[in-house]
Amino acid sequence: MLFVMDATISGPHFAIPLHLAPFKQLLCFSGEQNFIRFPTVRIRELKDDYIKFELRDTDTSIANALRRIMIAEVPTLAIDLVEMESNSSVLNDEFIAHRLGLIPLKSERAMEMRLSRDCDACDGDGSCEYCSIEFNLNVKCNSDQTLDVTSHDLVSSDPSVVPVDNSFAQDISGFDAPEARGVLIVKLRRGQELKLRAIARKGIGKDHAKWSPAATVAFQFEPEIHINEALMETLTLEEKKEWVDSCPTKVFEVDPQTQQVVVVDAEAYTYDEEILKKADAMGKPGLVEIISREDSFIFTVESTGAIQASQMFINAIDILKTKLDAVRLSFDTEEADDQFGELGHHMRGGGIDLVSRVIQ
Amino acid sequence: MNAPDRYERFVVPEGMKKVSYERDQKIMNAATFTVQREDHTIGNVIRMQLHRDPSVLFAGYRLPHPLQYKLVIKIQTTSQSSPMQAYNLAVNDLDKELDHLKQVFQEEINQKQSEYY
Repeated sequence: MLFVMDATISGPHFAIPLHLAPFKQLLCFSGEQNFIRFPTVRIRELKDDYIKFELRDTDTSIANALRRIMIAEVPTLAIDLVEMESNSSVLNDEFIAHRLGLIPLKSERAMEMRLSRDCDACDGDGSCEYCSIEFNLNVKCNSDQTLDVTSHDLVSSDPSVVPVDNSFAQDISGFDAPEARGVLIVKLRRGQELKLRAIARKGIGKDHAKWSPAATVAFQFEPEIHINEALMETLTLEEKKEWVDSCPTKVFEVDPQTQQVVVVDAEAYTYDEEILKKADAMGKPGLVEIISREDSFIFTVESTGAIQASQMFINAIDILKTKLDAVRLSFDTEEADDQFGELGHHMRGGGIDLVSRVIQ
Repeated sequence: MNAPDRYERFVVPEGMKKVSYERDQKIMNAATFTVQREDHTIGNVIRMQLHRDPSVLFAGYRLPHPLQYKLVIKIQTTSQSSPMQAYNLAVNDLDKELDHLKQVFQEEINQKQSEYY
């Protein structure tokens, strides 16, 4: 456990490690105490659009708040307003506008940008450098071959805000990977044309899912698996194999050399309890004990590509901090309560002197 | 047709207070905090942090209705503390925890990235 302590013991930032919690009253004097945790992080895998890490020494509520924020409250950019100039494609205007909205855009700038709702540089219609980015699309099909209009055809007014490019997908599955061709918007036949102007704006997933940077954000509790070795030895090899096979995921294995049951992948356990039921059915209850650790989590974050997965988590922390700041009591509320102070004092049973002073 | 606007869920209307505080009329050291335009994300975090404080006798939260975009937190404390004091302490402690979390995460990222390049 990470343990930070100020050199000056009288300082307000005085932390107590959990195992010393019973002595808190001794360590803290003058009623100055707090209950801060110091979480730790270990990253297992890090890619641009994927991160897997362990978060320890914190509470489910924090893990869940960060998960919820990554899904619904980390801002990104997405096309929000479309002006059609000409559309002779088979899809109607609003259908195309909807498809444009769902295209993920590179949104590194989103955290600094303004919501068009709060933007005072433009007169509310939202088209200025602080709150919007303009895109243009102008495609006409002049051949007998069907023409695919994709996200690559969108021309951005800001080089840092472009549709997410998946052309690296080429390397994985040959140069004709479907992702490499961009996000398909519509297909055009000879003579058909699509010309439009689109405005991308900042928004959050709570408003519309197109603004969510998350493909998947999930956390799982870390399982702790203890095999009762003595009881396990009462099983024959056949029984061991049968028991190991009853687990829907590959958590256990019978070691071919020692013929002992070993845990190969504790995290593959899905808390389905099949293995416990099997042990009961075999007349060996307590063969294995599985505990989920309530203070450590394994996070998997997948991004749509709008924001780097690691940045998504950092942004989520920042947003949770601003949210906490926003829910602080305003000064006038506290002051108004102070006026009740005398009454409060009275209610706590110490009001006699105050009352007598009023009378004098 | 008569559905409320989507932004109603997270934009505090003008003239409305983000947090309002009301003392309980019957119970000592008890109060209700009403937070506008917030949900489980904040509610559960604050509740769990309040539970860590031994001077808090009761802390709970609820979302009264899916279309009333507000959060209600009820706190009762011992006479050593007050609901407002406990609430402020919880928010401050969470803030510090997140500061720390951001720092350790950033350090891990930097370390991991330096391994790559």
